[in-house]
Amino acid sequence: MLMPRSASPAPGPSSSADHPKVTLTLAGCLEGARSIMPMMPGLAVFAMAFGAVAEQKGLSLAEASLSSALVFAGLAQMVALEGWSQHWSASALLALAFLTFTVNMRHVLMAAALRPWFAPLPAWQTYPSLLLLADNNWAAAMRYYTLGGRDAGFFVGSGFVTWSVWVAATALGHLAGGGVPDAKAVGIDLVVPAFFIAMLLPNWRGRREAVAWGVAAAVSVTVSFVLAGWWFIVVGALAGALAGGFVDDER
Amino acid sequence: MTSGEAGALAAILVMAAVSALNRTAGFFLMRLIPVTPRVRRVLDALPGALLVALLVPGAVHGDLGMAAGLGAALVAAKLTRNDFLAVISAMGTAAAVRAVVG
Repeated sequence: MLMPRSASPAPGPSSSADHPKVTLTLAGCLEGARSIMPMMPGLAVFAMAFGAVAEQKGLSLAEASLSSALVFAGLAQMVALEGWSQHWSASALLALAFLTFTVNMRHVLMAAALRPWFAPLPAWQTYPSLLLLADNNWAAAMRYYTLGGRDAGFFVGSGFVTWSVWVAATALGHLAGGGVPDAKAVGIDLVVPAFFIAMLLPNWRGRREAVAWGVAAAVSVTVSFVLAGWWFIVVGALAGALAGGFVDDER
Repeated sequence: MTSGEAGALAAILVMAAVSALNRTAGFFLMRLIPVTPRVRRVLDALPGALLVALLVPGAVHGDLGMAAGLGAALVAAKLTRNDFLAVISAMGTAAAVRAVVG
């Protein structure tokens, strides 16, 4: 569960000693799967909550499971349920597409951040892998990369475990219906942010992070008060990253 | 749900298509941007900035249990470097604070 401090400690047979080669191996998949385990109990409860609400909103078991399997984005799925209906006009579908896009816009930035790592891999490996992108496995993978890991399998393995648990627990929640526990009373809403904090800390290097994180915090909070919706995530992140990019290397 | 079935399915497929686009577009578009040292620094700073932009507004708009739980996670992650302990202490702290404050 605990990531080794120096990631990819025993370089696989395909990595060279001086410059670790970018690979996608089964060993990497297993390491990623293991590293994401602390998230899974909390994620399962989230998915069950989605399944239970979906059931109340009139989605069939198949529809709820299909939504989790194909959309695989908890926040967007949950938000969409608020306006869910059995009849969708073209304009309602367009509004749904726009809502999904804005809620998931952070994934555009997350995938962009994966470019330096995944670029050497062939497209038939990268694009299917990217479909497994979710907040928590991306965060875990970026920490792994920051600590020197280069095996893309880490991202795939952690993503696949997340996806499997997400879909299975959605179905469970739909079947359990109202029997799902009150998530807030037991602090389930803390699982994702607490995991993010654990992923964030190793990113600290110095002045650039002070600037980037400070700007990201200030801008995202300001935008969250000024603009309705989910813009604060992307606007804050972009502002912070751009500000950090203008801090020259100290070393 | 006779005529609705196709409707709900269409909505799910629309969300799936947009989500797939979101997941792949950023990676694809970065192909068109030359990675100069400055772009490289922006990309380096992006993961941390994105996590901060997800975390801090949630903490600001959340209740006392959220704030206390995040504080506990910060301390636990810093001291133990263990993800599981960070998550558990955050949940426990938030649950305890909410049990007291209501």
